[in-house]
Amino acid sequence: MNQVYVKQNVEESHQNMKKASPVLEVKDLNIYYGEHHAVKHITMPIEEKSITALIGPSGCGKSTFLRTINRMNDLIHGARSEGEILYGGINLLTPKVDVVQLRKEIGMVFQRPNPFPKSIYENLVLSLKFSGIRDKKKLKDIAEDCLRKAALWDEVKDRLDKSALSLSGGQQQRLCIARALALKPKVLLLDEPSSALDPISSSKIEELLLKLKEEYTIIIVTHNMQQAARIADKTAFFYQGELIEYGNTDQMFTHPAEKRTEDYISGRFG
Amino acid sequence: MTSKITNRIALTVIVLCALVMTATLAALLGYILYHGLSAISLSFLTKDSSSFQAGGGIKNQLWNSFYILFATMLFTVPLGLCGGIYLSEYAKPNKLTQFIRSCVEVLASLPSIVVGMFGLLIFVNYFGWQYSILSGALALTVFNLPVIVRVTEDALQSVPRELREGGLALGVTQWHTIKTIVVPAAFPGILTGIILSAGRVFGESAALLFTAGLSTPNLDFSNWNPMSMTSPLNPFRSAETLSVHIWQVNTAGITPDIQTIANGSSAVLVLCVLGFNLFARMVGKFIDRKLTGKA
Ligand SMILES: Nc1ncnc2c1ncn2[C@@H]1O[C@H](COP(=O)(O)OP(=O)(O)O)[C@@H](O)[C@H]1O
Ligand SMILES: [Mg+2]
Repeated sequence: MNQVYVKQNVEESHQNMKKASPVLEVKDLNIYYGEHHAVKHITMPIEEKSITALIGPSGCGKSTFLRTINRMNDLIHGARSEGEILYGGINLLTPKVDVVQLRKEIGMVFQRPNPFPKSIYENLVLSLKFSGIRDKKKLKDIAEDCLRKAALWDEVKDRLDKSALSLSGGQQQRLCIARALALKPKVLLLDEPSSALDPISSSKIEELLLKLKEEYTIIIVTHNMQQAARIADKTAFFYQGELIEYGNTDQMFTHPAEKRTEDYISGRFG
Repeated sequence: MTSKITNRIALTVIVLCALVMTATLAALLGYILYHGLSAISLSFLTKDSSSFQAGGGIKNQLWNSFYILFATMLFTVPLGLCGGIYLSEYAKPNKLTQFIRSCVEVLASLPSIVVGMFGLLIFVNYFGWQYSILSGALALTVFNLPVIVRVTEDALQSVPRELREGGLALGVTQWHTIKTIVVPAAFPGILTGIILSAGRVFGESAALLFTAGLSTPNLDFSNWNPMSMTSPLNPFRSAETLSVHIWQVNTAGITPDIQTIANGSSAVLVLCVLGFNLFARMVGKFIDRKLTGKA
């Protein structure tokens, strides 16, 4: 089912599944930019089919952490990571992991909508075509399915061959989410997906994520506390590269265990 | 002096400079076209040039110019694209890359007469291709390649990083991302650069004097066998281009109507280059509008 796994680990991964346990297990993760220690000793399990929000003041390492999960941080010259991110029993940080395959299973949506300067349809099927799907009918079906899931179908169904750049910012972002769903990923990483959008588009994205979590595991970075409170099952508070507190969202917003969490949530800094 | 006055003076100077520039250009174009247009006629464009009598045309020169342009582009575009893609997308920021980039810059700023001498030594003499279309096109390749590399690299660099990340994050390999996302996004810039460089190649003369030669054999435009000596397609025959012809007529012409021929040829040359530029703009605008969906 999952080519990131090496064969002998399939059994192990099945056991992991049975426990209905975390899809991702981060263990003592450290990330560096050259000498700069950006993310420090993070250990956290991430539950399947739930929304996990990462909050914290800017520069605390949320994006760095997120981009390490799908190895996008490999692209940054001088960035390196230590520790483990277990995905079905495999440490994603080892060199033998096929990052191309990994990124098909762990999709990502960025802060600024980044549709390709192509038609809406081409945006959706680009990765499918690369994966070798040629059948026109099948491509069309998947494209429609993704657009429906991203609640964009009704708005664009008559203009699939129009440039994606002709969409509004909010629509572009939903297109990027739809695009990320095309390969049926297990996990969806979103880095402040609505921070560049107006409130209406932003709430559309929130609704969408609540629906998507029935099928996908979602990790979202957000600087908007209300957003985290509204949609996340679990919330993790990062501060200066450390994970200060991690727990159920309700719990954390009503009775934070740590003073720093309370200060941040109540807006005393950040 | 108040800042308001300073502002006024600066503005005046700038506007004056712009005016001088535009006026010079307008005067030049006006002069060339005023004297040249009257010389252009169908027979001028479709007749062989004559060595002694008046009334020669520029058919062969025009053909040679386009042929050499085509051959040059055939060599430079694929090579230049690859070089530009390598420098922009793959090359690590280190000493070697820096060195390659400097080489490209030096090559781009070589005087074309030097490129011509180089072509004479290497292509004409060493490889023994004589004065020929091939030698000329290769010399112009040396002259044009760095330009295409630069144009490609610049156009690729102006593609936002987010697009590359978007592709890679979808589980698409780097090469496929470059091929299907980055290069298409940079395409309008690359294409405009290529067409503009075509104008430069089309008008080049110094690099061709010692490589493509100053004469053209008798051409038979019904003979399309590229191996035959009288075929216009033969890449191993010498070929005088339009700009070389202008130089040639002006320095060594002995026909009674040198002036008319030089003026007419200049006008044709300028019109062609102007055409390339306008074409570049139109194509660039068209693709841009198509990509951004405003069409
Ligand atoms: N490309 C980079 N090179 C060097 N340092 C970086 C880079 N990206 C981020 N950092 C540093 O890593 C730390 C965490 O950054 P980031 O993950 O972007 O924070 P956040 O997303 O929480 O705002 C910051 O101190 C930042 O300066
Ligand atoms: Mg960030």
